[in-house]
Amino acid sequence: MAILEIQDLSMVFGGITALDHVSLSLEAGSITAVIGPNGAGKTTLFNCITGLYKPTRGQVRFKGKRINGMKPYKIAALGLGRTFQNIELFSKMTTLDNLLLGRHLHMKSGVWSGSTFFRRGSRASAEEIAHRQKVEEIIDFLDLQHARNRFVGGLPYGTQKVVELGRALAMEPEVLLLDEPVAGMNMEEKQDLMIWLGDIKEELGITLLVIEHDMRLVMEISDEIMVLNYGEPIARGKPEHVQNHPEVLKAYLGEESALEVA
Amino acid sequence: MLGQLITSGIAIGATYALMALAMVIIYKTSEVLNFAQGDMAMLSAFVAYMCLSTYGLGFAMSFTLALAFAFALGAFLEFAFLRRAKEPNVLGLIIITLGLEMMLYGLASWRWGSDQKDFPFPVSDFEVHQLGGGVVISELNLVTLGVACALMILLFMFFRYTKVGVAMKATQQNQQAARLMGIRVGRIMMLTWGMSSVVGACAAFLIATTDTLDPNLMWTPQLKGFSAAVLGGMTSLVGAVLGGFILGVVENLFGGYVSVEFKAVVAFAVIVLILCVKPSGLFAKHYVRKV
Amino acid sequence: MKKILWLMVLVFSLALAGAAVAAEVQGVTDTSIKIGQWGPQTGPAALWGAVARGTKAYFELINSEGGINGRKIEYFLRDDGYNPNRTKAIAKELYEQEKIWGFACGVGTSPGMAVMPYIIKNNIPWVGMATGSPHWAYPPKKTIFAVYPLYPDEAQILTAYAIDTLGKKKIAFFYQNDDYGKGGLVGAVRELKKRGMTLAADVPVEVGETDLASHVLKMKKAGADCVIMWVYPKHAAIVLGTAAKLGYKPQWMACSTLSDVALMFKITKGLWNGMIFGNFAELADSKAPLMVKYHKAQMKFAPKERWGVFFYAGFGFVEPMVEGIKRAGKDLSADNFVKAMESLKNFQGIMGPITYSAERRQGIKKVFLAKCVPATMEVQGKKITYGKGQRLSDWMGVE
Repeated sequence: MAILEIQDLSMVFGGITALDHVSLSLEAGSITAVIGPNGAGKTTLFNCITGLYKPTRGQVRFKGKRINGMKPYKIAALGLGRTFQNIELFSKMTTLDNLLLGRHLHMKSGVWSGSTFFRRGSRASAEEIAHRQKVEEIIDFLDLQHARNRFVGGLPYGTQKVVELGRALAMEPEVLLLDEPVAGMNMEEKQDLMIWLGDIKEELGITLLVIEHDMRLVMEISDEIMVLNYGEPIARGKPEHVQNHPEVLKAYLGEESALEVA
Repeated sequence: MLGQLITSGIAIGATYALMALAMVIIYKTSEVLNFAQGDMAMLSAFVAYMCLSTYGLGFAMSFTLALAFAFALGAFLEFAFLRRAKEPNVLGLIIITLGLEMMLYGLASWRWGSDQKDFPFPVSDFEVHQLGGGVVISELNLVTLGVACALMILLFMFFRYTKVGVAMKATQQNQQAARLMGIRVGRIMMLTWGMSSVVGACAAFLIATTDTLDPNLMWTPQLKGFSAAVLGGMTSLVGAVLGGFILGVVENLFGGYVSVEFKAVVAFAVIVLILCVKPSGLFAKHYVRKV
Repeated sequence: MKKILWLMVLVFSLALAGAAVAAEVQGVTDTSIKIGQWGPQTGPAALWGAVARGTKAYFELINSEGGINGRKIEYFLRDDGYNPNRTKAIAKELYEQEKIWGFACGVGTSPGMAVMPYIIKNNIPWVGMATGSPHWAYPPKKTIFAVYPLYPDEAQILTAYAIDTLGKKKIAFFYQNDDYGKGGLVGAVRELKKRGMTLAADVPVEVGETDLASHVLKMKKAGADCVIMWVYPKHAAIVLGTAAKLGYKPQWMACSTLSDVALMFKITKGLWNGMIFGNFAELADSKAPLMVKYHKAQMKFAPKERWGVFFYAGFGFVEPMVEGIKRAGKDLSADNFVKAMESLKNFQGIMGPITYSAERRQGIKKVFLAKCVPATMEVQGKKITYGKGQRLSDWMGVE
């Protein structure tokens, strides 16, 4: 059954159509990639799904429930996590604190009980320990020990991307939206990330929706690919199907990426 | 005279520190300079005055009610005005706070008139303790110092250790990301304004005790608080409090040894000097984003 | 030819009619006279707005007694918030749209200064501005009559009293750093100079200042045994509190702007006790017949107002105007009114004696001194201590 379903979604900004009747459905436990030239509407699609934009038409269903029109924090609470193209971290906090903020949704204790967490054996204290354990697991999983107590604003770009991924994982989402996860990474980092994405799918069972320009990565990890051009879906299917689609080749013609596809 | 100037400076500095704390709380979460801060506090002081003088309630009851009012007022202003801003940017929001300032001022003038009123307070400013060498400090000064330090520590703990406090910090650094972490940014902002308003109200009660209560009560303290906050780096709670003390002492020494006439200029000079020389303030851990 | 003659008769009679219209004075009919005033009812100076409301009660009292020479007063009060730009708009509106005859009182030096050129240009009668600035009467303007005693004169009287009667040797002057405060400073320095003395300390305070510790320490260090203050009520309260805390106890003296003794006693939490201050009008509890009559009028026409000096000053500042209108009789043209005003010699209502002449536009040159003493009254079974004025002198002037 589809865990995330997008039906006939359109988004118009003052006369400019950023998304034009886009439909897509994500099978639980799969990896889907959205590709397309710059300005194709990929990030707009993400923003519509996560509630930052209200789509003009169509609907988004998550686990059968309609979520478009809901507030971002509610959508996040349902189990939908995301990373950003340009990294949106809390730059004046440490890696650890950033990841702990990912646990925010799962923290039960309010202001009063939370302020007494240092009382041993209290519910708040037990909760705090559980959250910290979860975060440490993620730090180990993504190999972030070296960055654990450093302000993320001072970390190398590639590491920041990994921290953002870690923070999204800390939310324990069922579906994770990744916006260009390897952009700006070196070869070694890309390699690591590719392995982690596979692990996230296989071991954690998280469904992934990925925007990416790196065709090698896309072809390697995706179960399904959707191609957007000027907001319009022009192709959808298995990697090998999309790779040879004439519309796709046309859209990418002259683009650097077209060479990689070809 | 030196000892007394320094002692008086620290005492008045504590009131600046409280106003600075109030401003820093809002700045920390939204980077908005709240120019309505002083008049929000002034209005709360009037509510306390009304409870005390008009309804004859006790001090504990009156101050509790007034602080509750302060919290509600702050939360309401955020909810009703700042959140309504279309495509908000920091400058636009600051201008909204200026508008609020005028509204609150008008409201207080209309409701209570501009007659100076005496603000009753359980602690006296005339009961003094000798510190030796003829230097005195009043009981009210000690209370003010205590309140400023206690609030600073409480707020520090709050931001450091509570879920809501951390969410506030996160909201300031990246609202968008905070939303996606499941943080209810709107609520956080309301809470921020409420808390800030309460701290400001504490300052107003203490200031109104030595001053007289009228709608202009908080105009100068707000300016001094802002100056102290700039000195402390705008985002640091400890910096704001130390900034208040330093400003108070520097002002008094300037007034005592250089010129009483130009004493009022010191706070402005501090703002300009700090913004030119060390905009991150004297105490904030400076951090430069790497691109 | 006959036609031309008729035409000439027509033109002539029209011209006559025109002349008759011109002789009619704006804002005055046989049964009414329109008078306007501006005064801050909101904003930082609203404390003084009571003056404008006092005038309203005074005019109501006069109307209830049948008006002046059969004319009832129509009073127009506008709130200018002590903002000179708004005052200008108000003066124009009142004169050109409401068609008023003249202006009574008007609170504040800067609002008054802003509209003075307009008033001079249009030859509008204006009497009794509620400020002791010398700009109204010096140089004299035809239709403008000042009442309030000048700040320098008052400061001279206070200084002389401190030295001669109280035997003080070292006088400090604590003043607001603007026209108002400096007006007082000039007078004190002048009086000291006459005796070959100087101020022990002159300490200015900015309007926005709230911390006065260094100001007090400066006066204390100078060893001043008497401090005369020319400030706003707010600063008076803060400086007394700070001095009490720092153990500084000189003889305090204050300007007549701080003569609302009940209010000052309250906002200084009793520290006003012993203060010697100038007065431009009778004390609030005065038993003078006019004061008793006005107090009754207040209770009747403005029962919610406090019987404070700023309120009944609104009566006092316009007393000479009402007298002038009475003496001018039927013809209220500016020329005739000015002539009537110039006939006032030692005219006295609830303020000092008022004299005008062809060259003199400063009505009062005298103040009297009073001292604040505590008194008690019972309100709902509870004993309340308040401050009241005790008269120390008769009306005194500068020789």
